[in-house]
Amino acid sequence: MSKVLSVAWSEYLVAVRSKAFVIGVLFMPIMMGAAIFIPMLLEGAADVGDRRVAVVDGTGELFEVLEAAAEERNQTAIFDEEDPEEQVEPRFVLERYVPEEGADDAVQLTLSDRVREGELFAFVEVGAGALEGAGDASVRYFTQTPTYEDLPRWLRGVINEHARDVRFEAADLDQGLVAQLNRPVPFEELGLASRGKSGEVIEAERENELLTFGVPFASMMLMFMLVMSVAPAGLNNVLEEKMQKISEVLLSSVSPFQLMLGKLVGTVFVAWTLSLLYIGAAIFLLDYYDFLGMVPMSIFAWFILFQLLALMIFGSVFTAIGAACSEMRDAQSLMTPAMFLIIMPMMMMQPVMDAPDSSLAVTASLFPPATPFLMLVRIAIPPGPPMWHIALGVFLTTGFSLLCVWAGGKIFRVGLLSQGQAPSFAKLAKWVLSK
Amino acid sequence: MNAVELTNVTKTYGKHVAVDDLSLAVPGGSVYGFIGPNGSGKTTTIRMILHIIHPDRGDIAVLGMRGTRAANDRVGYLPEERGLYKKMTVGRILAYYASLKGMGGRESKAAIDEWLERFELSDWKNKKVEALSKGMSQKVQFISTVIAAPELVILDEPFSGLDPVNLEVLRSAILDLRERGSTVIFSTHDMSVAEKMCDSIFMIFKGRKVLDGHLDDIQAKYGADTIRLRIDGGRELLQGLPGVERVADMGRYQELRVQGDPQAVLRELVQRTTVQLFEIARPSLHDIFVRIAGPEAHETSDAPAEVSHV
Repeated sequence: MSKVLSVAWSEYLVAVRSKAFVIGVLFMPIMMGAAIFIPMLLEGAADVGDRRVAVVDGTGELFEVLEAAAEERNQTAIFDEEDPEEQVEPRFVLERYVPEEGADDAVQLTLSDRVREGELFAFVEVGAGALEGAGDASVRYFTQTPTYEDLPRWLRGVINEHARDVRFEAADLDQGLVAQLNRPVPFEELGLASRGKSGEVIEAERENELLTFGVPFASMMLMFMLVMSVAPAGLNNVLEEKMQKISEVLLSSVSPFQLMLGKLVGTVFVAWTLSLLYIGAAIFLLDYYDFLGMVPMSIFAWFILFQLLALMIFGSVFTAIGAACSEMRDAQSLMTPAMFLIIMPMMMMQPVMDAPDSSLAVTASLFPPATPFLMLVRIAIPPGPPMWHIALGVFLTTGFSLLCVWAGGKIFRVGLLSQGQAPSFAKLAKWVLSK
Repeated sequence: MNAVELTNVTKTYGKHVAVDDLSLAVPGGSVYGFIGPNGSGKTTTIRMILHIIHPDRGDIAVLGMRGTRAANDRVGYLPEERGLYKKMTVGRILAYYASLKGMGGRESKAAIDEWLERFELSDWKNKKVEALSKGMSQKVQFISTVIAAPELVILDEPFSGLDPVNLEVLRSAILDLRERGSTVIFSTHDMSVAEKMCDSIFMIFKGRKVLDGHLDDIQAKYGADTIRLRIDGGRELLQGLPGVERVADMGRYQELRVQGDPQAVLRELVQRTTVQLFEIARPSLHDIFVRIAGPEAHETSDAPAEVSHV
């Protein structure tokens, strides 16, 4: 056992002292931070130059409405809420364009050229029947910057609102009454009512987005990220030992099984270290924002257990692949099926979250390679699966992980001293079944 | 007591018989040379001694432990193809290998310092392996093999690629191990090194043992059938000499294998030219090796190889 721990400790030290680990640890918080702060920073640095728009108004009355709305927007809605002096959005400057007599065909071309030359940002053609919804009722927006959506969105809103007013008026409807009739029905999403210890009825609580979506999603993503980043590293280490001719020295001191087990334990240590860092940070943030009470603590225990099982399965598979191959190129082709088994639960996540008790979700979460991911998702969605589903999942996955460790150990033993071309799947199966 | 005992050991890979019914006893405290051409079964035999691979048939005992790897903590092994973790420091690698042999931290630290000092590598203890020269790496590999003071040391081609200075350092370290009571087995292609260092020689050819015993006894068995000579004139003067079976040009002298009376050869030579050197000698290990595994042997390779038990 002490030799297994020696190997594990060495693997652990090599992993946590590597640049990849440090980058890996920092990468996620940096990415999350970047996702929050960079848009905030860029907001201040956004281009707030005027957006000049030419309007070819076929209705004869819409331009004034648009101009008034733009004026109001430019005076009230383009400044920082906390600092009313600072402009954070561009002004919309409208220009009426009246085509010359008999030059209808050239209007679009003329205005397009002005856009190309930078005089205009865009131009809009409003059909004569746009407000009434009859005849030429379309509104066409032309630009060479289709990614900027604020302007067309604003135009659409103002035009539709005015068109609605015109149409209500034409139909002789009271707008106040229409607004009242259009008022949406209040709709609440709740959990289930239950009975307390002393028999009282505990009212259902309002559905909590954090609990019903955030926790399952975050658990699954963290599990996926950890397995993806830690398990394949075992392959690289074994391959390096093989390519650097270190394996044989190790095998003169430890048995192949001890060596593989040590590597697996080292992998689990690395993953637990990462988990500790991430889960610790998550608990700190949840506590800081007063959300911690809403997250059941048992989810962390399930996370650690399922992570252990996932690493036993994928760690032994990747380690065995590393031992069986002599070059990274060969290993990559053998890795593909294993990678698919890790990615598959990700593809199943949405259907399982939508209907965690459906037969699809139950079956998928009891499929051993997917159980650590999908059963965790089901547990994280209240009220969680029946206990026997969890027990069966843990039982099957434990059995499967032991099978993987055993088969991986057989491949590891033969593969580690083999040289040359990567073995076929048939050959790997032969190694597993050999004495 | 024998450090290693193999009894009727056979190992096959598919249809290829790598080691065929091999029996061998390596006495404790000796320096035992394993020789044989490439692919003859040396490495397979060594791997079986270390229980890295298992024989199909037969029995293996190492340091008195039969059929298990229990003795491996008392065995140091330097394989022919060896490397080190490039990103690890020298001290960390040696501590790791020592721990795999069951050595405690404090004990290994003292041993590491002692060995590094001996090989003048103390300044490199905290440097990464990738910063070492080839010669330094080879020394570190050797230290990793002997760090746990093994009772049996198995070295597969320990001198390959070493410059003469490092070779001498390593040779002296190996002989020191014997002085301390360790048994040393090493395989080599360098017959002169084997001749200088080994008490006994074991030769394997096509999976079968063809030589085993003390070097003196092996050479004695082949008798004084070798003449080393240097003459004025070309090699053509050696043609048609009585009893000469083979002439080998060794550069500074010619080596003749003779069946019959060497004096008759000398008499004939003196009539032909001036003889500068004439020495009747026992065959060198190199010559014996070539006789068994060289082209001559290949001509008769279908016949079972001769086994010399001495």
